[in-house]
Amino acid sequence: MASAQHGAMAPITSKIAISAGEMIVSNVCKSYGTGLFEKKVVKDCSFNVERGKLTVMIGPSGCGKSTLIKLLAGFEKPTTGNILLNGKPVTGPGRDRLVVFQESALFPWMTSYDNIMYGPIARGEDDKKARDLAEFLLDKVGLRDFRSKYPMQLSGGMQRRAELARAMINNPEVMILDEPFRGLDAMSKELMWEYYSALYEESRRTTFFVTTDIDEALFLADRLIIMSNIPTRVRATIEVDIPRPRKLADFFLGDRANEVKMTALSLLHEEAMRSFAGGSKAAADFVESYARRSQRA
Amino acid sequence: MEQVERLLKRTLPFQVVSPETLDGIAEISRHEVFKAGEVIYGAGQPAEEVYVLVSGRVAHRIDPDIKARVHEKELQVGDVFGWAAILEGEKVRLADVACIEAAEVLKIDGARLLELLRKDVNFGEAALKSFSQLISQQYYLPPSVSERVPTTLSKVGDTRTPASNEAEPQTASAWTLTMYRAGEWLRSPDPYLMMVGFALMLGFWYLTVEVLKLPRFEDLPGLTTVVKEWFAEDPVYGMSIYTAEYYQHIWVSIRRVAIAFLLATALGVPLGLFLGWSRSFREYVFPVFELLRPIPILAWVPLAIIMFSGSETPVIFLTFLASFFATALNTMLGVESIDESYTRAACCLGANRWQVFKEVIVPGSMPYVFTGLQISVGVAWFSLVAGEMVSGQYGLGYVINTSYTMVRYPTIIIGMVTLGIVGYTTSAMVRVAGNYMMQWRLREMALGGR
Repeated sequence: MASAQHGAMAPITSKIAISAGEMIVSNVCKSYGTGLFEKKVVKDCSFNVERGKLTVMIGPSGCGKSTLIKLLAGFEKPTTGNILLNGKPVTGPGRDRLVVFQESALFPWMTSYDNIMYGPIARGEDDKKARDLAEFLLDKVGLRDFRSKYPMQLSGGMQRRAELARAMINNPEVMILDEPFRGLDAMSKELMWEYYSALYEESRRTTFFVTTDIDEALFLADRLIIMSNIPTRVRATIEVDIPRPRKLADFFLGDRANEVKMTALSLLHEEAMRSFAGGSKAAADFVESYARRSQRA
Repeated sequence: MEQVERLLKRTLPFQVVSPETLDGIAEISRHEVFKAGEVIYGAGQPAEEVYVLVSGRVAHRIDPDIKARVHEKELQVGDVFGWAAILEGEKVRLADVACIEAAEVLKIDGARLLELLRKDVNFGEAALKSFSQLISQQYYLPPSVSERVPTTLSKVGDTRTPASNEAEPQTASAWTLTMYRAGEWLRSPDPYLMMVGFALMLGFWYLTVEVLKLPRFEDLPGLTTVVKEWFAEDPVYGMSIYTAEYYQHIWVSIRRVAIAFLLATALGVPLGLFLGWSRSFREYVFPVFELLRPIPILAWVPLAIIMFSGSETPVIFLTFLASFFATALNTMLGVESIDESYTRAACCLGANRWQVFKEVIVPGSMPYVFTGLQISVGVAWFSLVAGEMVSGQYGLGYVINTSYTMVRYPTIIIGMVTLGIVGYTTSAMVRVAGNYMMQWRLREMALGGR
């Protein structure tokens, strides 16, 4: 069955030797402005992104997760504390940690293929091996037919897949994804979860995934880090010990999944209530959606 | 038989085939009835026949291992399923299909169907194409499946074809898109509304000046006078489409604008790019730039005459100046309009600062640059006429000015209308060039933002 389908396609590990890195974030603080105008966005934040695991960070929207991502990516430097990749401090952006940002950053003036090949070309590694890999990844993300289309001609889901391919071709040690499926409609989103989860299971590349969607977080995570509101700090860490491969169809029927979900939701609810008291619009939205969810559960 | 054909004609893949082929398909199709709850076929079984649903309710569930966007659906009467039987490669069922209620189906042998389609020289390929469309659109399957529908008939019969992916999906060329848009435009009411607009303006002119002879208007040259003069072989005031002088004026003006415009582009675009890109460069240059920019071109006339000798260079300088500011400013805005995520992504992927400039900043600002160039061409004509009226010999601005002093009123209008036509043409040329260079954007607009 499914002889020529995705499932039976050569796994990614047949083309790339995955070298999974490990990131350690210790006591990181980040504030903007000084003196009276100082605003602490991240406060005393410590966690590990373990080797070969998919670590998902979840927190109410607007809780400073994006700042944390900029720190991990090296676009900004922490005010205090440090971030280590394989034991070495992170000093700037680099191909060892690739970030897929929440807004699509495919270059609109390049075709899908050129976008995917951008990394190798920029580094002057435009050789046969890279081109083979690009072909392979085009197949992998189901965009072979769309290789010479421009991003504007692709659907939201295709754009996200092209972006994943553009990151994967560089074989980063750590993949950092900042709400990559935000803005997709519900159906494409669920398909992307299954798709992405299968892709991850193939490669087991160290991944740090940020989201605000609890279902997405649970379905994908090996480890769930729950953040508190601004200033961002780690509120709790939950090991999501549900075996892989996971299938969305029956995932949320499992007791363990629901147990973890309820624990996570109650923690998030507390956080949301706290910032709700502070009058945050994002938090108010969150409380409302929480109420709806727990009714359904 | 006729009934079968009528039904086949209603299905997506067979509605295109020739009557003979349809006959053939009807001949090889067998009628079969299934009871409620009965399984028609299951995933993993060998696939030999293609089915068409005649009546009843049938559920279709694609194997979850296959990445379909939707796994389960209920089939409609006239739906074609079981198309795995005509795929290239291993012919196995990809789905479980069972009857919700009793159902009648037509069973068509896959191999014989392909043979029939091969014989249909005209429409066979189209039928195959609609099969692959059906697979991706009605069954939401990824291209990896729909691509397995044999694409060219010569390959029918080969069970395994080496990767037949050389044929890339065609992207419309700029030319076909332009032609398509021109056709659309002619079919739309726009061109006719445009004609009405012109007719109204000319009618107003004719009525007020020549028919009603309204006060203040009666001294103006009338529509008929101007047209007669313009197309006269022996013009009363010395200039018409038959005199060499007319073309010399046009040529001189175009040459001045072209030189000034090219100069302004060659200097303005790089200046704008650097202004937008480098913060420190901007701190030095931008305040000066902003101070000079609002000074009207006419205020530069005396300086231009003092600085440049002869009659040609001052005019070109004035024309250049206005274009230059428009181009540089728009280019700078273009650089600023580039989303930071593009530069960040490029950095992440290993591009250095120069590559970011070359591969992100430059293409990213192009839409604004071309808007700038269109404005630039417009203001070039504007300042050209100002310049030509003050200094210089020849040129359309010069014609208008001297015709006034020499009381050749119809010639003024000829000069003005010619300016309008030539100015419009040049800015249309810039637009076409821009569209050609930014095909990624052209498509985006042609497809209505998709």
